[in-house]
Amino acid sequence: MQYMLLSVFFPVVAGISLLVGKEIKNRKILLITTGTFLAVTSILIMLAVCLSGESIYTLFSLTDRLPILFKMDGVSVVFAVMAAIIFSGAGVFSFEYMKHEEKEKRFYGFYLIVFGILIALCFAGNLITFYLFYEMLTLSSFPLVLHNRSREAVMAGLKYLFYSLCGAYMVLFGLYFVERYGNTLTFSAGGVISAQVAADHGEFLLFAAFFMILGFGVKAGMFPLHAWLVAAHPAAPAPASAVFSAMIVKVGVLGIIRVVYYIFGASFLRGSWVQTVWLTLTLLTVFMGSMLAYREPVLKKRLAYSTISQISYILFGLAVMNGEGVTGSLLHVLCHGFIKAVLFLCVGAVIYQTGKTRADELRGIGKEMPLLMICYTIVSLGLIGIPPMGGFVSKWHLAIGALSSGIPVFDWLGPVILLVSALLTAGYLLPITIQGFFPVEDYDYGALQKKEPSPLMTVPVLLLTLLSVLIGLMPEEVIRYLTQIIEKIV
Amino acid sequence: MIMLIILIPILTGILIPLIPFKKRIHMEIFLETMVIINSVLVWYMLVHHSESIFTLANFTGNLSVSFKIDGMSMVFGGLVSALWPLATLYAFEYMTKEEHEKTFFMFYTMTYGVTLGIAMAANLLTMYFFYELLTLVTVPLVMHTLTREAILASRKYLYYSLGGAAFAFIGLIFVIIYGSTTNFVLGGVLEPEKIGDRTNILLLIYVIAFVGFGVKAALCPFNSWLPDAGVAPTPVTALLHAVAVVKSGAFAIIRLTYYSFGTEFIKGTWAQNVVMAVVMFTIIYGCSRAVKETHLKRRLAYSTISNLSYILFGVTIMTPLGLVGALTHLVFHAVMKIASFFCAGAVMYQTDRHYVHELDGMGYRMPCVFGIFTVSSLALMGVPGLAGFVSKWNLASAAVESGNTLACWGIVCLLISALLTAIYMMTIVVRAFFPGKDFDVSTLAGIKDPSWKMLVPLFVFTIFIIGFGLFSETIVKFFSDVAAGVY
Repeated sequence: MQYMLLSVFFPVVAGISLLVGKEIKNRKILLITTGTFLAVTSILIMLAVCLSGESIYTLFSLTDRLPILFKMDGVSVVFAVMAAIIFSGAGVFSFEYMKHEEKEKRFYGFYLIVFGILIALCFAGNLITFYLFYEMLTLSSFPLVLHNRSREAVMAGLKYLFYSLCGAYMVLFGLYFVERYGNTLTFSAGGVISAQVAADHGEFLLFAAFFMILGFGVKAGMFPLHAWLVAAHPAAPAPASAVFSAMIVKVGVLGIIRVVYYIFGASFLRGSWVQTVWLTLTLLTVFMGSMLAYREPVLKKRLAYSTISQISYILFGLAVMNGEGVTGSLLHVLCHGFIKAVLFLCVGAVIYQTGKTRADELRGIGKEMPLLMICYTIVSLGLIGIPPMGGFVSKWHLAIGALSSGIPVFDWLGPVILLVSALLTAGYLLPITIQGFFPVEDYDYGALQKKEPSPLMTVPVLLLTLLSVLIGLMPEEVIRYLTQIIEKIV
Repeated sequence: MIMLIILIPILTGILIPLIPFKKRIHMEIFLETMVIINSVLVWYMLVHHSESIFTLANFTGNLSVSFKIDGMSMVFGGLVSALWPLATLYAFEYMTKEEHEKTFFMFYTMTYGVTLGIAMAANLLTMYFFYELLTLVTVPLVMHTLTREAILASRKYLYYSLGGAAFAFIGLIFVIIYGSTTNFVLGGVLEPEKIGDRTNILLLIYVIAFVGFGVKAALCPFNSWLPDAGVAPTPVTALLHAVAVVKSGAFAIIRLTYYSFGTEFIKGTWAQNVVMAVVMFTIIYGCSRAVKETHLKRRLAYSTISNLSYILFGVTIMTPLGLVGALTHLVFHAVMKIASFFCAGAVMYQTDRHYVHELDGMGYRMPCVFGIFTVSSLALMGVPGLAGFVSKWNLASAAVESGNTLACWGIVCLLISALLTAIYMMTIVVRAFFPGKDFDVSTLAGIKDPSWKMLVPLFVFTIFIIGFGLFSETIVKFFSDVAAGVY
């Protein structure tokens, strides 16, 4: 329990102390300090995950009916472990990458704060705690977006801020109703809406549920409020984009999981208009994201569109609301997290070493940076869903879930769109590999230089790639763990 | 005893130009001491109040000038008396750059007494009397700089306020005729047998009186005096046009709705829908105008317009919970808005910059001021953990609780307004802390945080913003007691 609190507050305090502390002249000392903070936090998270069990801890009460409390359950463990891995990996990567940016100290400060708040979101035990830290996350992560202070970056930061706040207020709207009609705000598997209330105020509550899904959907890049992702990712430094794509958008997913399965309950929403609209939105987003990614020449924007589409795979699985679908979703949370972190870090390394940002400039990149581009290729295959990569397993479960759901139209439309999107994914990720390793005949091999970056960049990328492959090779263990969670909620 | 706390500030104000102070510091000490003494007295009386009514003068029949301390007086009087000493301290520093200080402090201090008069008034007539007086003593403050702009603004302020009061007066007469007494009684004083079949007329009168008092609370379409009155020195805009004067309007509406007409009479009628719709419109209107406005103080003034209507929204829900929401926002908004106004004032005082686009990069030069400005912005947006969240929570849950469909749309308005608040406040914060890449830092050379006289009030307000946000249980419990008529 104390580890739960420590793993939340230690990084936040560390980050604040970096922000307000004196300028550190020696870069090495700054890196060592930050590295220590990151390592300690990760250890604390692991300790919290291993030792806390299913404990509940109330920090204090905002008002008499709004306690701020932390609680650990299966979903928290999945998200927290993933956050620890990705933040450490991207953090180490940034030690090299941030060399060419200014104001490093500020970056690391906010990075640590975001880390802590993210962990708080994983451990949040009720909706109000979740909402509190959700707002905090927005406020502490937008400085990462506008880090380099170019006009474009500032605009992107503001866009991110206002989109996210808009989502947060939609959530708040639902929250008022949940607080009034629900038994409690504490996350309880199966929901907190009693049958009596559901019968009396069903219509209102469905509206509230819809707004909450839409609101958290903003962070998850769900159509129609997805545009911030495309602006924010290219503007942010690469390690920030990596954690944004891999973790911060997942907070939207976590929020939706909490709202749908732990507040309203799947049985309340199943078969309602909310489910239908939600399914439509996710499928629309899946297709639209892939399509736009396919047409986008700027690499980071392409990956941002890809994130939009892939996150909606996850949301689709959640919207199907059966065991298989949710299994697929949670698996895809993990797979996509590691894969997208690797993709963004690879692109970041390319930008760092060569300054190239567009896909068509990357001819021969595989010859220049073979190790990174091999990682890139492996995870790309994973994202497309080619066996035996992780992506295959998760998409398999998603498709099975949809087919067995028995929801009219969507049971066949869903898998079809997922497949089309997979094809598009291949279309937007693989050309870079092909160009990179097989530059056509007129390529000037004489000008080729080895540009493999330092181990600070390659090692995290390699490790994350390894993880994404491992999930694909041994999904049984993961699925067994996920099944324990899902049995309770579906 | 009640007369004492009203008279001390008024007499102090009158004495200021009469006493020949040798040095400015002597006047400061004299004034601050008197204000603090009075605030202490007020708090003493609020804690040890008695139920009895003190009648100063009796006119014909049941018309009298009398005072009484009840729950509402405790809230408003307590708020005003807590803020005044701090605002006075701030004003000492701010006014060094302005002329005619003595006149300024004279009227500034007199306003304190008059506002307390409104808070302690026991019946509509007394409140009306002090309400008019408030207009008269604050006009010179708006006019203070004597520029053409200021004179026009003060004239506008005068006409709007007097006009509004005239409408309110109509309400007063009807309450006298149809009520059992003019004294404030929670639940209303109208007598059904006197009303007979004239319900609709009385509802119309209620709407008229609501709008009349609403002029001071900057209800749309009678709001334009408030941004214009921003030409006054910042202590006036901050304390009077974000708290004392405008909240007197809201306070008067609460008295009118809950203590004179009574919610039972109005709830569920067309009158409730009309006033609620106007209030909801004002919420959105104020925010949208604030987003468009580039003058810092005017932007905050528009923000005040929308936030005042939050309070009125709580009032128009017409349930005890609605009143709790209104009172919470009345107090919490006061602290948040006065903090942001004082920050704006500090910037104007230190740098003479008035427009939003002139604030690039100032966050590094004035870290305290802009740090506090950020906190107050976040609070106004309603970030959990700060004061604004609690008050919005109370308002919204009252709206949900009431089961009124229009009130549920009101929640939507509140949330849209919160988003707009984020837009107009956060753009300033981002500007201040993240100026563009090619920004030349040397243009800000020599700018620094103001002296302790300005910073102390700011820090106190920040503590309150955070404290109210985290530990609101006690104070909200107190508001619930007030709304339930315990005091």
